Amino acid sequence: MAEQAQLRQLVMTAPGIPPHLLVNDVADMFMDETHGKLLSLPVLDGDRPVGIISRARMQQVLFRQYGRELFGKKPITEIMNAAPVVIESDMALNEASKTVTERLKFPVTEDFVITEGGRYVGMGAVMHLLNAMEAQLAAQTEDLASAYKQLKASQLQLIQSEKMASLGQMVAGVAHEINTPLGYVKNNIEMMEMFFDGNRELLGACNALTDTLLSPASTEQELQERLAVLAALRENRSGSEDEDMLKLFADTRFGIDQISELVQNLKNFSRLDRAAAADVDLNECLDSAVLLARNVLKTRVEVIRQYGALPRISCMPSQLNQVFLNMLTNAAQAIEGQGKILLKTEAEEGWLKVSVQDTGKGIPTDVLPRIFDPFFTTKPVGQGTGLGLSISYQIVQQHGGDIRVTSQPGKGTRFTVRLPLAPPAAQTPESPPAPPASQGEAA
Amino acid sequence: MSEKANILFVDDEERVLRSLEMLFKNRFKVHTTIDGNEAVDICRRDRIHVVVSDQRMPLITGVEVLRRVREVSPNTMRLLLTGYSDLEATVNSVNEGEIFRYLSKPWSAKEITNIVNQAANIALSLEQQTNVDTGGVAPGVLVIDEDPSVVEMVKAICGKERQVTWSVDLDEAFETLAANDIAIVVCDIRLRGRDISAAVKALKEGNPMVLTIVQTQLQDVETLRSLINHGQIYRFLPKPARRGLLEMSLEAASRRHVSMKSTPQLTARYQVEKSDPAPVAALSTRLQGFLDRMRSGTKSI
Repeated sequence: MAEQAQLRQLVMTAPGIPPHLLVNDVADMFMDETHGKLLSLPVLDGDRPVGIISRARMQQVLFRQYGRELFGKKPITEIMNAAPVVIESDMALNEASKTVTERLKFPVTEDFVITEGGRYVGMGAVMHLLNAMEAQLAAQTEDLASAYKQLKASQLQLIQSEKMASLGQMVAGVAHEINTPLGYVKNNIEMMEMFFDGNRELLGACNALTDTLLSPASTEQELQERLAVLAALRENRSGSEDEDMLKLFADTRFGIDQISELVQNLKNFSRLDRAAAADVDLNECLDSAVLLARNVLKTRVEVIRQYGALPRISCMPSQLNQVFLNMLTNAAQAIEGQGKILLKTEAEEGWLKVSVQDTGKGIPTDVLPRIFDPFFTTKPVGQGTGLGLSISYQIVQQHGGDIRVTSQPGKGTRFTVRLPLAPPAAQTPESPPAPPASQGEAA
Repeated sequence: MSEKANILFVDDEERVLRSLEMLFKNRFKVHTTIDGNEAVDICRRDRIHVVVSDQRMPLITGVEVLRRVREVSPNTMRLLLTGYSDLEATVNSVNEGEIFRYLSKPWSAKEITNIVNQAANIALSLEQQTNVDTGGVAPGVLVIDEDPSVVEMVKAICGKERQVTWSVDLDEAFETLAANDIAIVVCDIRLRGRDISAAVKALKEGNPMVLTIVQTQLQDVETLRSLINHGQIYRFLPKPARRGLLEMSLEAASRRHVSMKSTPQLTARYQVEKSDPAPVAALSTRLQGFLDRMRSGTKSI
């Protein structure tokens, strides 16, 4: 925080006027050049302020016809402001400013009285107070700006760590997905090597027999030997080798395609570039998220797709993938045992709508308003960071869209993401995300 | 051996099944299924010598399949073949599945052939088992753990029935093992800041009759996998020790030890995969001496 400006620093010394002093004498005091800067002088009973008299009030009284004759010989108490604004010197600047603006009747022409423990110490000028306030506000603004900068930096870090955490969970699942085809592909190749060795031996024996047959110098015995070798090799064969090999090749090709597909999706998903792509098909994004979430869905959740025809939009696909994967994972985790997830997309009046609806346990009404709060989670330790939805919310908001949720405990939950067909002009990914707010309402 | 062993493969990916079937069909009678529940039925109905199951399958996990196979056909050798490192599943594969080997996807054709062959031979030889009459005193329990509360707990569970020996020194522990009739070892895999898992594995290799209950805070799939394959540990329990869990494990180990004594061939079920020579070489020479003596001792059984 900037150093707190003190009210004491604003004190202007001004001579006190005893209550019985005559108006004429006070007028002379105002004429004194040493008090030129003062708008008002205090009237003091001892060291207690009992009123103030301003230069403007004095002029008002004396300038009227016979003013000096009528009031000149009267004590100053007759015309002073008996209810001046009195501020204790230890009052905070903003509070002092509030009091002064609320209570000072003539802020342009009057000063206020500064006291310490009720005893007069000097006068204060409204202008000085405002200047001090402005300096203080500027310092506070600077503090806020740097705090905001820090907050934004740590928020970006949070987004990144949530991404890493969800990636970590996903990678473990994808590793399994890849290890399965990799398992049989490797085994098939090792078997094909064995088959190949057998075939090579057989081919070698065939060639040797052919050479013997074609050579004029071959003897009957040589021919017999070659035939015997070939016959023995043929004996060892079950007869289904070629057919088996063909099956192995087909399976291997299938397995490699499956691995490629997974790796491609992983690559698309985790692309760290933040650049927006111009023509993204959200249906493809959803498919990609479903594929990556397969390890949480596969065993027990049926995914139903009701995709509408969507125009391509400009967005950051890797970020939206993160949103969709998060929703799919949440939906799958909400389903105990068997269940269904309905993925629906549609375009309407300048918006794209993507909804993820599950037949899970639903979100209790008291929890619903908090689901977008950072670090709020109902999942057991290790299963959720409590950041997934809060970050999803920010991502969607950066895209100029919103997320809505309706839930019925015991029946299921539906999350709907709305994204504008035309990207928001002012909002770029770098623009500060607004704090996530809960938009939940129980259905 | 003239008789072909029956092998059952369980995996939800039929290409895995096709691949494994082709690898083994010349040597064994191969059964396959993509349905874990059906696998249990097959083991109940037919004489299956070896079952190899995937872990992650729809409706039922591999560990659950193996646990139920163990109930309906205890003599079937059980192996897990998984592409997913899931700690809970691995722990359960020891404690509930009592598996012979934990294999990872992708596997090596040669390695899986050797291991399945070994399992099949063990299962076939067990079919000609003979019973030996046993009796006498109950063999003792050795606790290798620096935490005195563990030995207190073991003593409280065993009461006066069994002798409980406590050791916090490996050399001393192996001396106790060589000199006494020890049925069960309860140990951690860290002792005085050192990793003693090599010794835990060597212990089983040297004395297959001993059942090892490992209690540790360490939760790492790779360590556990190695303790299964190279150490054939009987139970893997978390720390801090829980009395109920330890009591159940000790009772199960005692029963197992009794049946192993009456049917020594059963010991073959706990054959370990030979460890890398390196970590074993790191054991002290004195310890190595005990090991050698124990090994020569087991040969004479």
